[in-house]
Amino acid sequence: MRPKISAFVDGELERQELAEVIEAVERDETARETWHLYHLIADALHDTALRAPGFSARVAQALAAEPTVLAPGRLPAERARWVALSAAASVAAVTLVGWLAFAPTPEQRPDRLPGVPVASAPQAGSVQATSTPAISPAAQPAVAMQREPTVPPAMPVSAETASDYLFAHQEFSPGMSIQGMAPYVRTVSSTVSQGLRR
Amino acid sequence: MSRGALCTGALAITFLCAAGNAGAQTDSLSGRAWLQKAAEATHSLSYTGTFVYQHDGRSETSRVTRLASAAGDVERLEVLDGEAREIVRSKDGVRCYLPASRTLKVDHHAAVRSFPAMLPAQLDDLLRYYKVRLGATDRVAGRSCQTVMLEPIDHYRYGYELCADRATGMLLRSVTLNETNAPVEQFTFTHLEVGDVRPEAVQPQHATRTWRVEESSVKPTNLEAEGWRVDADLPGFHKIVEVVRELRQRQPVGQLVYSDGLAAVSVFIEPANGRRETAHRGAASVGGVNIFVREVDDHIVTVVGEAPAVSVRRIADHVRYERPK
Repeated sequence: MRPKISAFVDGELERQELAEVIEAVERDETARETWHLYHLIADALHDTALRAPGFSARVAQALAAEPTVLAPGRLPAERARWVALSAAASVAAVTLVGWLAFAPTPEQRPDRLPGVPVASAPQAGSVQATSTPAISPAAQPAVAMQREPTVPPAMPVSAETASDYLFAHQEFSPGMSIQGMAPYVRTVSSTVSQGLRR
Repeated sequence: MSRGALCTGALAITFLCAAGNAGAQTDSLSGRAWLQKAAEATHSLSYTGTFVYQHDGRSETSRVTRLASAAGDVERLEVLDGEAREIVRSKDGVRCYLPASRTLKVDHHAAVRSFPAMLPAQLDDLLRYYKVRLGATDRVAGRSCQTVMLEPIDHYRYGYELCADRATGMLLRSVTLNETNAPVEQFTFTHLEVGDVRPEAVQPQHATRTWRVEESSVKPTNLEAEGWRVDADLPGFHKIVEVVRELRQRQPVGQLVYSDGLAAVSVFIEPANGRRETAHRGAASVGGVNIFVREVDDHIVTVVGEAPAVSVRRIADHVRYERPK
């Protein structure tokens, strides 16, 4: 198995053998250690960030010790801090992650837009008032009726992260059963990431 | 004129048209049959073609190759402009090659299969939310094609103007239209050859030694049992997938997919831990895809889909958490 794992790490295996190695690595502790060792060697040779042997095992152990991650913990008492942070981050984010113009459709009515924050960076001072997580349309009619602010909302998703979500989404899109694989190009398109940075 | 005479007239016209086209069978196909034919072609043929993806005033050219074989179908998509990014899809999963960052993303299909051929029942479902209408005969990539319009019954989904190769059914052009009938994105083949694909043509061109490998797999889950609710009440959109997956090898991310049979919207739910440095909400749109992000009960909810902003936003706004009793 060792030569095969080595070939795998070097990206030189045929499809059938790939599956074989993956299966072996999943099943067999020794194969797994070899796998990590070879990756470590490859990393060292190619000057990528080093990871200590047993790293994955330790992460796996740590994860196993964690409680269920998807169920929320107690409600955070730090809403105020979060709002302040998000206001500051909104300003800072301009150069870091970019902004996105989002043109609302005319027929969007306030009752279709509960909880959509109208936060925008230059109004950081007023964010406190308008960006509580669930804006009630009744309480904010003037704001909600307006078309989207001319300054677009902060985009917390970097182009790279967005493409990860797109990649995870695309495989389940039934449109592909008619359109074929072409829509998958969105997940690797450089024009998509340029579009996101606009 | 009586109903009978009308029918006879219509029949006569149909017959004349068919005769005029020297017996081409496809003339008698309905819009629905064209969709079925396109889905079958997409699912069964071997082909290689070059297409242009256009959106937001940009365009990018890619090549797509599909090898149908008894051992399992393999599809490969290769971006031809700029960095040579590639995606290879097979029964084992999807592999995405990103040479700029020397990253290989591998998405293993687990118990959850992605979509095989479109079944007639699925098509029936879909046609409750889109009116299908045949358009003119057109010509794309040097091939004669039949225009098929999919007009949405409401503004919760986009419309589509498709053009299917008259010979094989392959979609040669697909234009996504918003509620003002303006294109938001478009896929257009500039070249297509059907049949005769060599196995090498679907092999990735990158040796990935020294690359970072990001593996992820999905497994079924029950997010509702964990307390998550999405009551967006969008006509036609129903839940088709519910999985938990790793994303960029972070903590597990819950994923729910809602679809009307054609358009799909994914809801990703993940703990906000360690991601408090940015504002956890916002909107993005690119081509026909809209993205909304918001925070719900200390979790980040990211909603992504090829549907109008109003739908994606509505789904995002209706994600809530109820502590299980």
